[in-house]
This record gives sequence, C-alpha cells and structure tokens, in this order.
Amino acid sequence: MIGMIYVLSKSLNYSLAFTRKISMSIKSPIYLLHKELGARFTEFAGFEMPIQYTSIKDEHLTVRKTVGLFDVSHMSNVWITGENAEDLLTLTTVEDASKIKDCMSQYTAILRDDGTVIDDTIFMHLGKKYMIIPNAGMADQVTKWLNEKAEENEISATAENVSNDFIILAVQGPKSRETLQKLTKTDLKTVGFFGCQYVDIAGINCIISHTGYTGELGFELQITPTNLAEDVFRKILEAGKEFGIKPIGLGARDTLRLEKSFILAGNEFKGGRTPLEAVMSWTINWDHDFIGKDSLLKQKEKGDYQRLTNLICIDKGIPRPGCEIKKDGKKIGTVTSGTLSPCLNVGIAMGYVHPNFREKESILEIIIRDKPVKAKVVKPPIVPKDWLQQN
Amino acid sequence: MGDEVRNNLKYTDSHEWLKIDDKIAKVGITDHAQSELTDIVFVELPEVGKEVKKGEELCVVESVKSVSEIYAPVTGRIANINKKLEDAPETINESPYDEGWLVEIEIEDESEVKKLLDAEDYKRMI
Repeated sequence: MIGMIYVLSKSLNYSLAFTRKISMSIKSPIYLLHKELGARFTEFAGFEMPIQYTSIKDEHLTVRKTVGLFDVSHMSNVWITGENAEDLLTLTTVEDASKIKDCMSQYTAILRDDGTVIDDTIFMHLGKKYMIIPNAGMADQVTKWLNEKAEENEISATAENVSNDFIILAVQGPKSRETLQKLTKTDLKTVGFFGCQYVDIAGINCIISHTGYTGELGFELQITPTNLAEDVFRKILEAGKEFGIKPIGLGARDTLRLEKSFILAGNEFKGGRTPLEAVMSWTINWDHDFIGKDSLLKQKEKGDYQRLTNLICIDKGIPRPGCEIKKDGKKIGTVTSGTLSPCLNVGIAMGYVHPNFREKESILEIIIRDKPVKAKVVKPPIVPKDWLQQN
Repeated sequence: MGDEVRNNLKYTDSHEWLKIDDKIAKVGITDHAQSELTDIVFVELPEVGKEVKKGEELCVVESVKSVSEIYAPVTGRIANINKKLEDAPETINESPYDEGWLVEIEIEDESEVKKLLDAEDYKRMI
C-alpha cells in the first residue's frame, strides 16, 4: 500500500537498481518535465515519482533556506459534497467540521471504531464543498469508508475520488510566498496559516492553501485539469529563479517532514495506531461524537500505552525503520521513521515507546546492525523553528 | 562526475574497484556507484586485522535513503582502513578513486585477482 522511499541493507547493486526498477506504477501527469529536469524516480505507493533531482541533502537545505517546488500528485483528492457534507466529516474525523470556517483547512484523522487511524488528512472548507487530501494510495479506501458511513447514518453527503483530475504542487520555504506572489494579483498575506481559497495564479484558477509538510512557510496548489500543471510548474521555477528555487523530490520531502516530527502514515500508523499513541491529541476535538471516540476515551483513561517519541542520535549511526529501541539492554520499542538529518548532520528517528522511557533528555539505545547507538529523547520538532537563524 | 573508469584498476560486477599493489588490494566503490548513490552520509568500516571472505560483507555505505552492503572482492585480512571516512563520508563522492578508498586487504589467494574485471569489462557493464 504505502511504499517505502528508502532501500534497506541491500547490496550496492540492489541500491543502484532501485531507482530504475519500476513497473506498473502510475506516472505523474508531468513525468516528462521531471525527466527533463534530471529527476531520478522511485516507486512510492504505486506512483512513479521523482525521489531527487540533484541530491537529497542539497534539495533539503534549499527548502530550509530559500524555496523548493514539489510535485505531490501521488497524494489523493476527494470531494465531499451534499447538504450534510459537514456532518459527515464531523462524524468520521476527530474534528468538529462545524468549527472550521469557510476558506479554512484542518489537519485531522479518520478513525476505525477501535480508534486506530485509517488515514490522516487535511480537509479544506470551500464554500458548500469540502476537499480532503488522503495519502497516496488511500483514496479508494477512504472514499468507500466515508460513503458507507454516510449511508449507515443517513447523512446526505457523498465522497468522490477525483485524484486523477488533480495535480498537487507544493511550494515550500521562506521564499515561497515571494515566489508565488509574482504570479498572482491576490495578496497572499491574506491567505492565513491553514487558509484555503480559489485563486488566479500563473494564468489559471486553482485552489491554494497555506499548508505543507516541511515545517516552513509554504503553500499547496490543487490544479485541475492536470494538463495545466506543466506550465504552472515552469512559471513557478521561473518566478523563484532569483531565490535559487529548485525542484524537490520525495527523498527530501521525507527528511524535511521527519526533522519537524510530522507523521508519515505508511510508517507511523503501520500495524494500527491511535491518534493518542501518535501524539496527535491536539487534533482531537472531544466536544463532538465521532467514530472511534469511545475507544479513545477508554485508552485515555487507561493511560498505559506507547507514545510516538522523537530521538536524536548521540553516537554515530543512522536509524532506519524497524531498528529496535532499547533501554538498559531491554527492548522497549521499534523505530518507525529514521534518517540522517541534513540540518543537524546526525541520525534522527521516531518510534513508539512507553511513557516511562520518554522523559525529555532520557538516553535510549537504537540497535543498528546489532550495535547499540545512543540516542536522546527530544520534544518535537526535532529541528527547531529557529534553526535557520542559528545557522 | 559520473562514469569515470580508470584503466589501471580492477573491478567487480558489484561496483567495487581494486588497486592491486603486490599483495595489497586497495578497495573502493566506483565513480558510477557513488554518482548513482549521491550524498554518502555514513560509512561503517571493518576493524583492522579482521579476516574477510570474498563475497561476504566488507562494510556498509549509507546515503540519505539507502543502506548498501559492500562485499569483499577478495579474501584476506584487513590491513588498513580509511579512517577519514568516519568523519567525512562525502569524500567517497568527491574522490571515489583516490581519497575515498575504503579498505586495504592483504590478499590471501592471488588467483581471485585474475577473475576480477578489467576496465573494459566494467565499462561495458555500466
């Protein structure tokens, strides 16, 4: 379902072949443009997407320092329409959709009855309609779930998977607003954090939202029909030229999000995790009824559950998903995401451990190729907001 | 940078190069391999004195998104390791055939050397 964008403990030949060994996957509508820009491709959740153009480190730092442009068309688009679209979202997400005003978006989670996350997503309130952005490869499952719940609860609303009609571009980094501002008459300062609206930009009309997955100032564009996207992509690259804009692949997208302690559904929800375990309780609006709420309340009361924990390596070594986390030689958890942090130049990781072991500054061990590597528990985000000012 | 293949070196089909000097084989990964991996960020080297067998894991080279095992191209004893790589793994990207060597192996069985690829064979392969 959700693919992994790294290659683990394989021969050099395997690693080299990885970027070329792609079959039966969906190509981005602007695949040829990526090729022209020198992209190397990888398969992610059934999509053939650029993993990098120059190098992951270089692209990562470009986004932190100035601005980068991502094609994230592997992400899904689902319209929620109908008289009671709001009620359907309120029932099926941890957010009370009536609290989210028109032209605002919200990060939330869709849960099963047992409280585990089906998918985390953003929903955008656009007049009478809502658009949700499920993760790559999740659109069919989410759409089916929402329509079933609408029917079971006699809610007049419909979910429609329109992923193939849209391409999503993300412009992220401190210079993202200045870059996009050149392409539109709308004052982008009026699009507040998590704001969303239709905008005329780069000669087309599309949905813009002040959102992202990098922890930097950034915007995302939902473009339809997809044949408009190539021209928009080129115009953004041109507009950002003076800032040194670069196209950015999924490799840097993953390292950027992990440095900011953002969840990657395929990693952090694997095997079934609740938003309490994933330390997403800030997203839960407890003042409304939603699917999974009873299970969450029970878990909350019990209190004795593992929680997603952020780690920075003290010793040399790069943690990878699947590495054991130990305390005094005893296994206490497993790494769900791990990488080298291009900003900190040390290994960083997230994994689930019991509250007893996750006090700030606690020292744990991550087992990398049978060797314990010391790591320190830190509060999110792993890389602080003022990193650029300090470096 | 990209696909430099040096004529005075031996190669393997798994992208290692060897510089043979009497009984010592200096080993690294090829320019092609480093340029495909990009951004080498971590190298785990064996200890000096360790006996390695041809085809078994010699060391590990990690890029941001990949972990690659490098296999011993010949059997022998680790005579020397490139300690510089512990603090500067990017040296492999910058200088794969010179500063970015990995280890030196004291060759046990010289007949293994004869089976290695020469530059022309390797060029055809990549």
